[in-house]
Amino acid sequence: MRSLKRLLRRLLAGLDAALTRAYGWERNPVHQAGTVAVAMLLVLLGTGLYLVLYYRVGAPAASVARIAADPWIGAWMRTLHRYSSDLFVIAAALHAARMFAQDRSWGPRTLAWLSGVFLFGAGMVCAWTGFVMAWDSFGERLAVEGGRLLDVVPIFSEPLSRIFAGDGPVPNAFFFVNLFIHIALPLGFGIGLWLHVSRLARPALLPPRRLMWAMIGTLTIASVLLPATLGPAANPLHLAATTPLDLVFAWWLPISEQLPAGIVWGSGIAGVILAALIPRFTRRPREASWAPSSVDARLCTGCNQCPQDCPWEAITMVARDDDRPTLVARVDPALCVSCGICAGSCAPMGVGPPGRSGRDQLASLRESTFPSLANAGVLPIVAVCCAQAPAAHLAALQARGAHIHLVSCVGNLHSSVIELLVRQGAPGVIACGCPPRDCVGREGPKWLHERLFNDREAELQPRVDRRRVSIATLAPGDLAGTLAAFDQFSGALAALAPVEPEQDVDIELLCEPVPFEERAP
Amino acid sequence: MRLPQLITVGVVTAAGLGILAYASAMPVAYHNAETARLRLSWSARPERIEVCRQLSDSEQAEREEHMRQRVECVGNFATYALTVEVDGRAIGESVLQGAGLRHDRPLYLLRDFPVPAGEHRVLVRLVRRETTDNDAAAFAPAIVSAADTGIYAGRAQREATERGRRARAAIPATLVLDTVVAFAPRQVALVIFNTERRMLQLHSESPRR
Repeated sequence: MRSLKRLLRRLLAGLDAALTRAYGWERNPVHQAGTVAVAMLLVLLGTGLYLVLYYRVGAPAASVARIAADPWIGAWMRTLHRYSSDLFVIAAALHAARMFAQDRSWGPRTLAWLSGVFLFGAGMVCAWTGFVMAWDSFGERLAVEGGRLLDVVPIFSEPLSRIFAGDGPVPNAFFFVNLFIHIALPLGFGIGLWLHVSRLARPALLPPRRLMWAMIGTLTIASVLLPATLGPAANPLHLAATTPLDLVFAWWLPISEQLPAGIVWGSGIAGVILAALIPRFTRRPREASWAPSSVDARLCTGCNQCPQDCPWEAITMVARDDDRPTLVARVDPALCVSCGICAGSCAPMGVGPPGRSGRDQLASLRESTFPSLANAGVLPIVAVCCAQAPAAHLAALQARGAHIHLVSCVGNLHSSVIELLVRQGAPGVIACGCPPRDCVGREGPKWLHERLFNDREAELQPRVDRRRVSIATLAPGDLAGTLAAFDQFSGALAALAPVEPEQDVDIELLCEPVPFEERAP
Repeated sequence: MRLPQLITVGVVTAAGLGILAYASAMPVAYHNAETARLRLSWSARPERIEVCRQLSDSEQAEREEHMRQRVECVGNFATYALTVEVDGRAIGESVLQGAGLRHDRPLYLLRDFPVPAGEHRVLVRLVRRETTDNDAAAFAPAIVSAADTGIYAGRAQREATERGRRARAAIPATLVLDTVVAFAPRQVALVIFNTERRMLQLHSESPRR
């Protein structure tokens, strides 16, 4: 499983980098795979509503041929329906692969994973019925294979395959059931999607608006220019030499046709079970970097910021068990994914995963970073980088003279770290995070920007010169962009007067625990 | 976006959409170009092999009035031996029986046999495996009893009619189709059981939708 994960990670990194080079990280569709799938679902609903108006259960092949022959609306509407269904499958598969490769498929994300498996399976069944509805040679091929597979399950009084034998017209009821499933399943998608994102705070369901409309527009143009092929009408008494096969959806069909039905069923069921067990296979012990956050009740002021920032709604405010009049934050370990974003949100630095709270970050800075920089004389620019960043980017920044300070996610970074660095003499601090839609902590770059520049708790204190602080994005495939941001920042710092290091800066003291009496047991 | 990047975006997008369009309807081989098929497809009731006896008046009297069947039968559904030959060479031999755990459902058959294109002599034979000494019993005339009065008057006639109907709907003891078929490449020659004429028939009309 680990090696599969590594392989997938490498493949996805290559694809990610290539698409970032082409489109830029802001428009990289790989970062939006899940939301692209939802957008395609909406396109499918829209085009499907039009198509169902002209579809005739009593004459499926003829009605679809009539739609395909209509050059004004029907042809491209049908093609758009087809292309968006293909893109839905690709986007959903890519989304699942990314979640798996990025270790985002277990623990609190199990429900999302399982509902995703259900949604993907339902999408495939829906696509199957859709292709059969067209009743061309490919639809017939799928129907025959479906009949063969269903006939080994004793659920029909008469073998389903016989209705495709050719001794009579395929009954209307068959096409009606297909149409019913094709329409009913997408209605169930709503429930599946709700479950899929139910554990997320502020779920992003759609890609950025401009990207979404650009994709739909481009697909529409492609649908006009490259109309989808419709095979010849199904004819059970004539064997087609070739069929136009939708490789995205039905790549498995030529293999399945060669195998006994029992083996196909066995493989399918094993595949579903394996997919459902991925959370079990990939789970990690909840310790070290996977340990859930905890709250130091002595430090918690009950400000209610960490529940607001937590991207997984894992933190709630509850009554204290001491005499202080405020509430206290409580982390539900079953919901916490150890992203550490709460650590960056807490002004008194009282919450976070073990070893990654604000106080731990300051201690690490004092214990390892400052001593290693002591010999340098003049402190260099410090690049606080996400640990997920590509190694090439880190090396390039280092080659530019920056000191690299790694954090698990820039959303985990406490603003006091930046303050301490600047007050201890660093000429500038550049926080380098992942592209906002590619953050494993979901909202790291967003909260970092808000905390550094928009006074969101735990805000960077006004005493820190904002000209000495910057944010950059480390996107695989966009090294030039990262270096340009660094060079621009470094150039701006050169114009500033050298910073005077302060002695004995003790930020933690500003947030000393409020003394309180332990309640008697 | 600068011009080189715009060009890159255009090229990558066009290539991606081209691949998508091709992959969404890629021509993939389905059937060998030279081979035709002989397809056997039908559903019909297997014959019921029964031993029937007429109930005596005293046996009838012991039963409730609505249970007084004049003729009582016990038995099983028949099984059939199917043989398919093309140009005198057997290409399929099997035993068929009714569907369901008790085999009391209709006998459903769907078999495909690859046949080289060209003219071939086709022989399909379906023979009942069980023997019975009285195939005509099912068509025997009604035995009218004086006990069938009131609303039960004519019951014996109805029973006889029903036995006859079931027997006529069932597959006959022997069915044979012996014919010469010119198979075009990738053509399907369909053999069906004509329930009206109670015989096997070659069917080549394509039902369209």
